[in-house]
Amino acid sequence: MSEPSRDAHPVPQGSKACRRLFGPVDSEQLRRDCDALMASCVQEACERWNFDFVTETPLEGNFAWEPVWGLGLPKVYLPSGPWGTRDNLGGGKRPSSSPVLLQGITQEDHVDLSLSCTLVPRSSEQAEGSPGGPGTSQGRKRRQTNMTDFYHSKRRLIFSKKKP
Amino acid sequence: MELLCCEMDRVRRAVPDANLLYDDRILQNLLTIEERYLPQCSYFKCVQKDIQPYMRRMVATWMLEVCEEQKCEEEVFPLAMNYLDRFLAGVPTPKTHLQLLGAVCMFLASKLKETIPLTAEKLCIYTDNSIKPQELLEWELVVLGKLKWNLAAVTPHDFIEHILRKLPQPNEKLPLIRKHAQTFIALCATDFKFAMYPPSMIATGSVGAAICGLQQDEDVSSLTSDALVELLAKITNTDVDCLKACQEQIEVVLLNSLQQFRQDQGDGSKSEDELDQASTPTDVRDIDL
Repeated sequence: MSEPSRDAHPVPQGSKACRRLFGPVDSEQLRRDCDALMASCVQEACERWNFDFVTETPLEGNFAWEPVWGLGLPKVYLPSGPWGTRDNLGGGKRPSSSPVLLQGITQEDHVDLSLSCTLVPRSSEQAEGSPGGPGTSQGRKRRQTNMTDFYHSKRRLIFSKKKP
Repeated sequence: MELLCCEMDRVRRAVPDANLLYDDRILQNLLTIEERYLPQCSYFKCVQKDIQPYMRRMVATWMLEVCEEQKCEEEVFPLAMNYLDRFLAGVPTPKTHLQLLGAVCMFLASKLKETIPLTAEKLCIYTDNSIKPQELLEWELVVLGKLKWNLAAVTPHDFIEHILRKLPQPNEKLPLIRKHAQTFIALCATDFKFAMYPPSMIATGSVGAAICGLQQDEDVSSLTSDALVELLAKITNTDVDCLKACQEQIEVVLLNSLQQFRQDQGDGSKSEDELDQASTPTDVRDIDL
C-alpha cells in the first residue's frame, strides 16, 4: 500500500461508475492528437513570446530577448558552466540533488541559456496596460496573461526526445 | 503487518478564514475576475463537430458519480467542468476522447483543491481501463497548455459563504441551506445551459432556490420571495430579472433530475445501495416540491 490515505476510498468492487462512455478508445489516435496539440501549444507560445522554446532561440517580434547572468538563483536552477558558479552559491538545501541533476544532463540534452525579455514599445495597440486592473474591455482581458514588462531568467532543459 | 491509524480517513482542512470571508473586497475581486474563466463560446455551435450536448451530460454525470464515490471536495466537480468547457471551447475533440478529457479535468481539479488528490490509476479504473495512466498524464499537459495553466478558476462555491453571511437567516438554518445550494451548483454544472453563466449568478440562484425550496417545509426565511431575490441580487450585483430567470432554470433542472431519479428508481435496475451512495439524489429527494 503505497498510498494508504486515499485508499480510504478505494474504487468499490463492481462500482457502477466504472464504465466506458463512448466505446473503445483508439490509443494511436490519442497519441497523434496529443502530439499535434502539444505542438500547437508550443507554436502558440512561440508566437506569443517570439521565442522558439524548442531551440531556445529568440525570434523577431514584440519582445527583445537578451542573455542575463548572475541572478542569484539557487544553484539547482543554474547550468554548470562559466556562469553557473555552483561552488560559491550557498544554500545547499539539497546538497545531493544538484550535482546529480547537473551531471546527469549531457551537453546535447540541454541548452544553457538565461534570458530576459523586454517588451519593445510599439505605437497604438501595443501600449502595455498594468496587469491586474479590472478587465472590462476586450483588449484588457486579453492582456491579463501578459507578463510584466520585465521577464526574468529563462532557462529550460530540453531533454532528448524519447519516443516510448 | 498492516498498521491501522485512526486518523487515516480524516482529511485535514483549514478552518474558515474570517479575514477572507468577512472582507467585502474579496467578494468584489471575485466578481471582477470571474468572467475571465468562462468558456469563450457556445462550443456546440462553433467548435465541436462530433460532440453533442447529450454527450457532455453523459460525461458530466459520470464525473459527478466519480467525485461523489470518492468523496471529493464539493468544488472539485464544478471546477473540473469549468476546465472541460474551456478546453472544448477551443479544441475540436472527437467523442472518443471525451471521457479521457473528463478524467484529466477531475485529476487537475482534485490536485488543485484536495489534500489527498485522486490518483491517475484510480481515474483510469473509473474509465473501465479504457485509458492508461500514461495517457492521462500526457493529456494532462495538453489540457494545461490549452488552459494556459489558468487553473484557479472562480466557481460558484467561492461565493456561497459571502452570500450566506449577508442573509438574515438564523444561523442554525445555514448548514441546510448551504448543503442544498451545493447540490444545486453540482446540478447546474451538469447542464450546459449554465456553462456560460457567471459563477456568482449560479451561486446566487442556487442559494435562492435552496431557501425557496426549504421554505415550504419550515420557516427558514423571514423575507418574501421577491424581497429575497432583491437582496440576493444586490449582494452579487446581479440583475434581478436575470437572477429570477436563473433561479427558475435551476428549479426546472431540479424537477427534471427528480423525474429522472424516480424513473431510475422505478425501473428497479438500480439497487437501493447504489442510490444511497450518491449524495446528490439523496439530498434532492429530501426537497419537497
